[in-house]
Amino acid sequence: MRIVCKGRSILTPLGTTVQENFDAVCRGDSALRRYEGMFGVKEPFVASLMDRKEWTREGHTFFDSLVIETARRAVEDAGIDPASPRTAFVLSTIKGNIELIGKQDVTLAASARTLTGAFGNPNPALVVSNACISGLAALLQGHRILCGGGFDHVVVVGCEVQSRFIVTGFQSLKALSEAPCKPFDVHRDGLNLGEAAAAVVLGFGEDGWELVDGAVRNDANHISGPSRTGEGSYKALRYVLRHISAGELAFVNVHGTSTLYNDEMESIAIDRAGLIGVPVNALKGVFGHTMGAAGILESILSMEAVDAGLVLPTRGFSELGVSRPVLVSAETRKTDKKAFIKLLSGFGGVNGALLFGKGGAGC
Amino acid sequence: MEQLINEIKLKLIDTLNLDGMTPEDIGNDAPLFGDEGLGLDSIDVLELIVLLERNYGIRLANPQEGKKVFQSVAVMADYVAANRTK
Amino acid sequence: MLTIKRFAAIPNGADLTGLYRNMAGDYPKFFKMDTACKLGFLLAEQLADEARFVPREDRAVLMFSTHGCLCNDRHYEETVQDFPSPSLFVYTLPNIITGEIAIRNKYEGETSAYVLDRFDPERFCSLIEQAFQDVVTRSAVCGWVECRADDDFTAFAFLVERGGNGKEFNAETIYGTVNQ
Repeated sequence: MRIVCKGRSILTPLGTTVQENFDAVCRGDSALRRYEGMFGVKEPFVASLMDRKEWTREGHTFFDSLVIETARRAVEDAGIDPASPRTAFVLSTIKGNIELIGKQDVTLAASARTLTGAFGNPNPALVVSNACISGLAALLQGHRILCGGGFDHVVVVGCEVQSRFIVTGFQSLKALSEAPCKPFDVHRDGLNLGEAAAAVVLGFGEDGWELVDGAVRNDANHISGPSRTGEGSYKALRYVLRHISAGELAFVNVHGTSTLYNDEMESIAIDRAGLIGVPVNALKGVFGHTMGAAGILESILSMEAVDAGLVLPTRGFSELGVSRPVLVSAETRKTDKKAFIKLLSGFGGVNGALLFGKGGAGC
Repeated sequence: MEQLINEIKLKLIDTLNLDGMTPEDIGNDAPLFGDEGLGLDSIDVLELIVLLERNYGIRLANPQEGKKVFQSVAVMADYVAANRTK
Repeated sequence: MLTIKRFAAIPNGADLTGLYRNMAGDYPKFFKMDTACKLGFLLAEQLADEARFVPREDRAVLMFSTHGCLCNDRHYEETVQDFPSPSLFVYTLPNIITGEIAIRNKYEGETSAYVLDRFDPERFCSLIEQAFQDVVTRSAVCGWVECRADDDFTAFAFLVERGGNGKEFNAETIYGTVNQ
């Protein structure tokens, strides 16, 4: 039996279903807007933010409301029993309820309890908080939990909401662009932050999207600067490429934060891994950097793209600005391949790659 | 100027957690970055930008500009003396 | 089968600077770290074997806690109103502890950070066993670093390896070792 995706859900400013979000990306829409005075932050910033009033449920925080709602939709899509002791929950987030620090229990453990409590599930949810690769690491963890035995389904939920805490932090690192970001572009000058929630239900099966394998590797170089040689990303890619050849891949959906160093690092890793001929795309120009949600959100949209026979466009990209000649997909293009790699990197020197395949591709 | 140089050294030691160092350990013209000098890194540059703003009312928008200003304590002191607003 | 190669613990409230001077002393970056990372660093120093300092992909670093980096989050939040501190902000991620250990020792394998409701030897054990599904991983630094405040913490870690001659790594031996 393979480990496959049985249910999916996405909530972003561009849509509340997988289809709406996919259509928005295909149209070339972006949720990035300029905000002034938002969260009490002095400097204006560009971000993709959700409507708090619309999504906050009584008795829950904005963050917990999004987590529960996206999990509920994915569980419904999969048609599984979320209360079953054979269903496990994995939550991916970096900062959770941090905007409420000093006001209430903002530990990620508390959000995990709220999530399983909402579904009457007896298993404590596991929180994977592995910087910007959290969503990818959480999907890999779901895969491992199923391989480890004892569970039929794992609900993997990723979510991030923005706050003064996070925005000022990235501003202090001079990491934010004052304009919509430009992944891999010669004029890229920083990232934009984003809010989103997304969930995948993993289970055993023969049909549908298979999560084939994945790996996490550290650069062992610097806590906030990516490796100049793409060490960790290259090693993570090499690990998943044991299962598949470059010619079978529809694309690599990269992190593409649009910082100078991240995108350059990814181009080096892709080149070293022998993937220079494979189309590459990034979705940060559409949704911003949605942190703990990114790995799940971007994986789901990549599945949809392959199902539609497409490589999605890289909004914000126009002229290649990295040292290796990677094939950035500026516009939508066609593909008949049935597998893709999701690549992410984050603070702490952490990098990850996941391989997804359909109909035997990549298995 | 000597007084400003000493003041900057003390602030560097405090802000960057340079444990066990005294102002005498930091040469006025010694490089702050790289293996030769204090071995400061990119996060330290950003913290020094905050230091200039908080203590002297100087705003550096671009970290690249910082690299020039933070060559050595002496260069920093000259820059502060010429640009301080408080 | 996984076995325990080494175990290390740091008593609550210990003088971390003193421990650093005794154990290492040659790594000034230590003083820039938040308390959780200092604890992780010192645990990894105690666990270190011949395998460190040469880049190696087969050693993972897996860290667990309930509070994550909340202690440092409070310090960063205090700076936000006036001059947000970049050097405090970079420690507001629960996984930086794994990165600091990886950088110091040149462990290029998997690094992961998890948040659990409480320390539960069975769960701790099964999550670590699951991490060894990565076929490259041969050994791992696995720790519980719970930093409630700068002077109030619980910190211990195991060096676990595939095969090996030590005690089997299971819930019972974890419980026994931690409560020695």
